[in-house]
Amino acid sequence: MTTPLLSVENLRTQFDTAEGTVRAVDGISFDVHEGETVGLVGESGAGKSVAISSILRLVESPGEIVGGEIRFRGEPIVSFEEGPNGESRPSSEMLSNKEMRERIRGREIATIFQDPMESLNPVFTVGGQLQEFIEINRELPPKDARDVAIETLREVDIPKPEDRFDDYPHEFSGGMRQRVLIAMAMACQPSLILADEPTTALDVTVEGQVLNLVSKLQEEYGTSFVWVTHDLAVVADICDRVNVMYLGQIAEQAGVHDLFDDTKHPYTQALLNSVPRPDKTVDSLEPIKGVMPEAINPPSGCRFHPRCPEAREVCREINPDPRNVSTAGAVHNAACVKHDVFDVDYANSAPIQTDDDEFGEDLQVTEGSR
Amino acid sequence: MSTESAETEHEQEYESRVGAMHAFSRLLEDTSAKISLVAITIISAMALFAFVDAKLLDYQLAEMFLYHPLRAESGARPLLPPVGLSNQFGDGVLAHPLGTDTRGRDIAVRILYGSRIAIQIALVSTTIGVAVGTAVGAVSGYYGGWIDDVLMRFVEILYSIPFLVLVIAFMAAFGRNLTYAMIGVSIISVPIFARLIRSEVLSIREETYVEAAQAAGVKDRNILLRHVIPNSFAPVVVQTTLQMGTNILIVAGLSFLGFGAQPPTPSWGQMLSIARNYMLPAPWFSVWPGLAILVTVMAFNILGDGLRDILDPRLND
Amino acid sequence: MSHLRYSVKRLLQAIPVLLGITSITFFLINAMPGSPVEVMLGPTATEEMITEASARYGFDQPLYVRYYKYILAVLGGDLGQSIHYGVPVTEKILERLPVTILLLVSSFTFAISVAIPLGIVSARRRNQPIDHGSRVVSLIGVSTPNFWIGLLLIIVFGYHLQVLPSNGLVMPFTPISEVGGADSRLDVLVETGRSLIMPTIALGTLQMAAISRIERSSMLEVLGRDYISLARAFGVKESVITRKHAFRNAQLPVVTIIGLQLTSALGGAVLTETVFNINGMGRLIIQAIRTQDYALIMGTTLFFGFMFVVGTLLTDLTYAYLDPRVTYEGEQ
Repeated sequence: MTTPLLSVENLRTQFDTAEGTVRAVDGISFDVHEGETVGLVGESGAGKSVAISSILRLVESPGEIVGGEIRFRGEPIVSFEEGPNGESRPSSEMLSNKEMRERIRGREIATIFQDPMESLNPVFTVGGQLQEFIEINRELPPKDARDVAIETLREVDIPKPEDRFDDYPHEFSGGMRQRVLIAMAMACQPSLILADEPTTALDVTVEGQVLNLVSKLQEEYGTSFVWVTHDLAVVADICDRVNVMYLGQIAEQAGVHDLFDDTKHPYTQALLNSVPRPDKTVDSLEPIKGVMPEAINPPSGCRFHPRCPEAREVCREINPDPRNVSTAGAVHNAACVKHDVFDVDYANSAPIQTDDDEFGEDLQVTEGSR
Repeated sequence: MSTESAETEHEQEYESRVGAMHAFSRLLEDTSAKISLVAITIISAMALFAFVDAKLLDYQLAEMFLYHPLRAESGARPLLPPVGLSNQFGDGVLAHPLGTDTRGRDIAVRILYGSRIAIQIALVSTTIGVAVGTAVGAVSGYYGGWIDDVLMRFVEILYSIPFLVLVIAFMAAFGRNLTYAMIGVSIISVPIFARLIRSEVLSIREETYVEAAQAAGVKDRNILLRHVIPNSFAPVVVQTTLQMGTNILIVAGLSFLGFGAQPPTPSWGQMLSIARNYMLPAPWFSVWPGLAILVTVMAFNILGDGLRDILDPRLND
Repeated sequence: MSHLRYSVKRLLQAIPVLLGITSITFFLINAMPGSPVEVMLGPTATEEMITEASARYGFDQPLYVRYYKYILAVLGGDLGQSIHYGVPVTEKILERLPVTILLLVSSFTFAISVAIPLGIVSARRRNQPIDHGSRVVSLIGVSTPNFWIGLLLIIVFGYHLQVLPSNGLVMPFTPISEVGGADSRLDVLVETGRSLIMPTIALGTLQMAAISRIERSSMLEVLGRDYISLARAFGVKESVITRKHAFRNAQLPVVTIIGLQLTSALGGAVLTETVFNINGMGRLIIQAIRTQDYALIMGTTLFFGFMFVVGTLLTDLTYAYLDPRVTYEGEQ
């Protein structure tokens, strides 16, 4: 098994707020191999964006990475060791801030953000911003960087890039701005791109174009992707493997086909049942009851159990980690005790009485409700 | 259970609207806000006491318990320094804790009674400013069109002459006493609130619940009163508090220049203008009234900031 | 649209405001005690003068005619005659104007050059001691009456330490002979500087405090924006982020506040000039009131309004220069 490009192990990131500690990412593990696109799926608030920031070590105060290991090509981006008093503290072998800034950010690992209007500096020209990033990360003199910038804009299908170089962000349409963000990410020739819901703010036709563009670029350059989204259709389109997150933890991990055809976690199943699918015809969509709670005070045991149609008493007590439940050869992890591998006598545990919550039957689909 | 405790957006909005008590209790958690609230209460109590005694009781309370603020005692010694310097006036330890002025009047008492002028003018003018400004801004923002153009043009013009200068010119034309000071400062307080309310109304006007009310046939006036204005509550409260501070500064400036409460009625600004003539022999004279102004205005500013942090967290640091 | 077109557009927008200000002063003149004749010309006016003025100002004519003639007069630069000084109001104002402008420029320069770095440092080192310290200083700064600061400064530096002059302002172009103890132009300039220090601090403190507060909160807000996070994610150094990426965006609200501070600065000039016996326009209006020189009062008021309008125009143009969206949106 080759060393993964990126390996995340038991990452934990918290925010200290006045109301308490928000455990935004509470022990997630996943890998990204060369050339593959890994999806990070979940509702708003599940912790996906925090995970992305953690990979780049750009979690902003009052947030803090408190545990876990993140390695990029074997080098430790995040690593903890035991201190003299037995407490856990950041390891000294971790890459320094300077190394992160100079070598990793923008150079080896690039990002594509969600909201292109907010992600581009309104007082500078688009070309200027792109050129600056290229100068920094590819260490080219300004003139060469400018040429590269124009070429990259051309590659992302922006017409007349030489002219548009001097335009400001507000002079571009939403789809074009997103292409600029993609250009920024690709221009520095990174091995890995972290894409945080890049198509969420776009309407469907534009989204399709952008996804096609990304696929084309990936084929050409072999870049790996971590693709954050709450849209299962996008997942089906471009991901090779998928991680489903719920409230800071991973519920299910599988290859994209296995995830859709052989779903092993009730949450994933509920998500799939709540959106229309072109490959299935159903009588009605079933929204998931309730809303995802805040990460300050997660439910006891399995975090999904209050909303899970298959919940049993034992689910209140045990918070399972993802384990391989695959019947075939491929790895397929699910964090649900109904699978035998957990050995908690799920079958004999009594089902939880689901009181008809005050929200009633006509609940909106919870996707992106916040 | 967590699902039941999770609030929908609508519930949260409702709670914050009704949450005046909630906001107040959160305010009390902020130490500096608490202190400023205490300070404002004390100063207001002083002002109220002074007002009652001056207007209704003709300074009887002052004569009984303190010193008369307008008249010096017989045999009073003028320009005494504060206690701690060479003060040998009889009558115990704190005979004249802050010294006496040129006529031998006790400064501490005059500062106490000066608070009345500051608070009175600021309170009246801010209230009028809010009331008239809200009416103008609400109508302007809600109806738009030429009403908006005309009203806002007028507001802008009023805004374009520097506050102090406008009030001075106004008082030069009409009269220089306390009443005209109140009117003048009221006039200049209106534009700020008019603009504020107008911009709030403009954003609320587009909200769906206003459309719903309109579709249901609710009268405009009622929409304004029951939906629009209560929802613009937060920034208005903040601005009112801050405006109190601003107006006290303006009043102090006016008094310093001789506009406002006329002698012998004490006011802080006026005491400073007298102090100016005695900077060499009695420098401490210049300290106390200015300090009083500083403390009062600072209290309002701290309170205003605290309120802003609570009611409009978007502006929070 | 180009910056030029925008400038012209703003200029045109200023005209109704100027007209409005003129109307206000017209209204106030007519509200004053005494007839408009007395107001504009004073009790010592001769028959000749009155007859001539009647034609110009239309004293015996209906209100709207007087209004129209007043506007014409103002446009022509005629603001009446100063009773006390015996010269046209306009002349007196222009004589005093440079002094006030020097004071204002000086205090704003002081305010901006202290406030902006202070606000930025405060934002970068949020919640650290320097931040807390500067916030307390700012709070005191916006709560203190400027004339009180002036008084205290005079007491300490003027009277007790005797290091700075506290009476009047020496203008740079004053003839050398009129400046005590000066032998060269350089000496005069030094005196200008010395006489400017205390009034500048007195007047500028409020501005400085207000601007530093907004600078801090604006920087904090901008530093939290997505494009800043993006720049960090692409490896831009923190100092470059502050200096280049954040700074320009953060200045936009600051420019707006500076515009608002103009109005309090102009009013503050009246107070500061009074405290320091500086013969600028601020002091002029007070002296005019003492001598009941009504034409001068109104002329000065009008002028203050004009200065404010000019000042706001300048700040709007600065804003448009900084933010490319403004001129663009004008075209929409």
